[in-house]
Amino acid sequence: MTAGNTDVIQGTLDMLILKTLSLRPLHGFGIARRVEQITDGVFKVNPGSLLTALQRLERAGLLNSEWRQTENSRKAKFYSLTAAGRKQLRAETTEWKRRAGAIARLLETEG
Amino acid sequence: MSLWRQLRYGWRGLVDRARREQDVADEVAQYFEEAEAECSARGLSPDEAKKAVRRELGSISAARERASEYGWENGVKVVIDDLRFSARQLWKHPAFTVTAVLTLALGIGANAAIFTVVERVLLAPLPYPNAARLAVLETHWDETGKTIPRVTGPDAADVREQASTLEAVSLYRGGSLGVQLKDHAAYTVVTIADANFARVFGLKPVAGRLYTDADAKHVALVSERFARDNFGASQAAVGQVMRVEGEPLEIAGVLGEPFDFPGGTQVWVASPMAPESKSRTAFNYKAVALLRSEASFRSAQAELRAISGRLRMSYAKENRSKEMVVQPLKEALTGDSRPTLLLLWASAGLILLIACVNVMHLELVRSMERQRELAIRRALGSSRWRVMQPVFFESMLVAILGGAAGVLLAFPTVRVLVAMAPEELPRMHEIHLNFRVLGFALGLSVITAVLSAILPAMHAAKVNPAEALKSDSSRGMTRKGAGIFRGGLVVAEVAATFVLAVGAGLLLRTMMTLDATDMGYDTRQMLVVDADAPAQGEADARRAVRQFNDLFGQLGQLPGVTQVAGVMGLPTGIYGSNGYYETRGGAPVDADHPAWSNFSVASPGYFGTMGIPLKRGRDFGLEDTQTSEMVAVISESVARQSFGDRDPVGKQIRCGLDSDKWMTVVGVVGDVRQDSPAAKPGAALYMPMAQHPLYANQIHVVLRTEVKPLTLRNAVDERIARVDPLIARRYTTMDAMVDKSTSTERFRAALISSFAGVGLLLAMLGVYGTVAYSVAQRRFEFGVRMTFGAERGAILVSVLGHATRMAGMGIVIGLGLSVALARPVESMLVGVKPVDPVSLALVSALLLITALGAAWGPGWSATRVSPMAALRGE
Repeated sequence: MTAGNTDVIQGTLDMLILKTLSLRPLHGFGIARRVEQITDGVFKVNPGSLLTALQRLERAGLLNSEWRQTENSRKAKFYSLTAAGRKQLRAETTEWKRRAGAIARLLETEG
Repeated sequence: MSLWRQLRYGWRGLVDRARREQDVADEVAQYFEEAEAECSARGLSPDEAKKAVRRELGSISAARERASEYGWENGVKVVIDDLRFSARQLWKHPAFTVTAVLTLALGIGANAAIFTVVERVLLAPLPYPNAARLAVLETHWDETGKTIPRVTGPDAADVREQASTLEAVSLYRGGSLGVQLKDHAAYTVVTIADANFARVFGLKPVAGRLYTDADAKHVALVSERFARDNFGASQAAVGQVMRVEGEPLEIAGVLGEPFDFPGGTQVWVASPMAPESKSRTAFNYKAVALLRSEASFRSAQAELRAISGRLRMSYAKENRSKEMVVQPLKEALTGDSRPTLLLLWASAGLILLIACVNVMHLELVRSMERQRELAIRRALGSSRWRVMQPVFFESMLVAILGGAAGVLLAFPTVRVLVAMAPEELPRMHEIHLNFRVLGFALGLSVITAVLSAILPAMHAAKVNPAEALKSDSSRGMTRKGAGIFRGGLVVAEVAATFVLAVGAGLLLRTMMTLDATDMGYDTRQMLVVDADAPAQGEADARRAVRQFNDLFGQLGQLPGVTQVAGVMGLPTGIYGSNGYYETRGGAPVDADHPAWSNFSVASPGYFGTMGIPLKRGRDFGLEDTQTSEMVAVISESVARQSFGDRDPVGKQIRCGLDSDKWMTVVGVVGDVRQDSPAAKPGAALYMPMAQHPLYANQIHVVLRTEVKPLTLRNAVDERIARVDPLIARRYTTMDAMVDKSTSTERFRAALISSFAGVGLLLAMLGVYGTVAYSVAQRRFEFGVRMTFGAERGAILVSVLGHATRMAGMGIVIGLGLSVALARPVESMLVGVKPVDPVSLALVSALLLITALGAAWGPGWSATRVSPMAALRGE
């Protein structure tokens, strides 16, 4: 792994996927590319982990999937958020913010 | 909802595996294509793009693998794959599979069938309401320790009145009697019971009504079957009139199927609540009782003991040491069959044990064959569980197949058992395979599976790969322990078979003894007619006797018939009486042990017809009539026990059969075995029919024939019908009656022998398997030995010696076990000791020969080993 690229932190991949899909439905590669773009390449997504996570989220009822054409007219599996997925995203975002805030405050006082 | 989604998606993945795999493959391919397309867009050539993507994302197959691993269904898939693999393995080894499945099927089939019978007869509650509170009352004497399942009328009436623990007590008697309908008569099991009978059993009629005490002697109930057979329907039977023992009876109601207590009763006749017999020494009744719901058998017994104590005080002479005891009805019904059934169960258990050992042994050999394969898989890094799994699945499959086959086998076996069972075996008509039994069989096969799977699987998994690869089994370098264990299994098998075979030997010898027993009369070529002539009162009875005498004369004229006579009290017959007697001018009488004898009432010519030898004096004759001097003929036992050396002819004797008049002994005849060939020849007191008409209308007519007895049936029946169509009649032969009297012994002997046969077969398979396996293992060794000049004979001897050693050890252990287990079967044996040297020697020889026979094939093939081929190896 080259410096500057970090594997996705354990447990945050689900949240990143949900966040990415909250804007519009995407296929697997689209999600990976998007995660990299948004995080300025800080997070790299491995296709095996991503596709496994997508299956897990789908079976948990947070995502729906559907095969359809991409812009360059190739068939791809598109994932979209379900109502339950949206709710889960809100809950996880709040929780993440609370924790990140706490850590940030902790680091500030230390510094 | 998400759980549901989990299940649904997983299930879809499982059912349509190809589609799910395609789905994942497509998605991964599209992912990589997009990535490559992006690289190409940045200006890389397709080749460079591919490399860049590979560098960044790893290999496409790894991603595919990872993505398709997700989901619970993958665990299931692994199991299914293993099962498939196991099934294929079984398919590829048909000899192993067939032997193991058949072995288990035999073991489980026999056990399921026997357990079905045991469960129904011994364990299942009786099919009556309040079954657990039903009891029988019996009479017990403290002094002698004797118990009989009968009571006297007055004793039972006192108990009924005084016992607060008994809700209802019913007295009954009866048996197979002629029932006279309008134009014909039929032998039917008739029970004469008081009105409490219905209360005890909680009976509800399906038509008509029950009877009350006011109906005594005028009213009867019939079974649904009886109503259907004789009147077409239950409703049609109500109000009809029939005759039993000469009494006209109106059918008041019909009892629904399957109630037929006691002993297949079809007709229940109302008797008065107050017993007619006033004697405290005449045990004329059987008694059933219903315990109060708050009472227990213990409290009821305590109360009966107190009441019996009071009765002993009041009737010091008649009730001396007498006590009424209460026993659960179920135990009373099934108690006699318990030893037989438990013996069968134990034998079936032995068969199962042998079967398990055989299967375990087969599995062990299988697992040794694949030891190398397993070792390689272990060496390549498979976990212990992964290695064990297919072994486990394979034996599980075998057990399930065996269990299924066993259950299939159990259905016909149960039917055969029921058909074969002696009439004395209670509740046989209730028997059918049920879920409890299926559960039992399934449990058995699972236990067998676990037993036979765990050992080889552990064995396979424990193997140290390096060791296993070194000890190349085909080079004769197996580890010692395994061989000893397998040998031990065969020894156990031989020992168990030995026990079974000895049991079979003892029972068969018992059967041979019984079949060869001299009954004291000639059973061959004899037609027996059970005849019940309707008679009400003495005048009727006397007319019946005259009728019978006419009949004997007419039947004697029939071609093929040489002699005809009639008797009440035929050996092994349904009629009979017995009791105490007194003599005048005989040996001194011991008041505590009054002389006892069977009583028979016979026509002139009875002894000649039966072939009972007349030792002294004369037979009855036409001169013995109602008005002439009362006479009797005694058997040699009576002469011996009551007259000693004195000549009994001319002496006086009397008994309580129907009068206490003294009779003059006019003759002495040989003893007969009354109940069965297993009975000892005993005391018998014969009286002429003409002088005892009340005991002469229900008789057996015996005809000595020159042709096959049953061929005369129609001619005889026609003659009797011409004399009186209302004489109920039923035909059999003396041989058949004697056979029936030993049916329990026959049943036991047949079953245990077939078990022993199955055991022998399985033991043979076991020996064959072990020897064949060890010969295969030692091919290389034999090759080497033969190269260096070993004789073929020496090799054969070494193989047979192996088998002989195993069989010999099994026989020695089996011998010890048989001697130790001899006691419980002692009561089932006649004419043979439980430790019978002949049986033991025969069985030892049989097992040795079986073992040698089983080893002969592999031994022969060992001598055919070509040294060159063996040394060249695989």
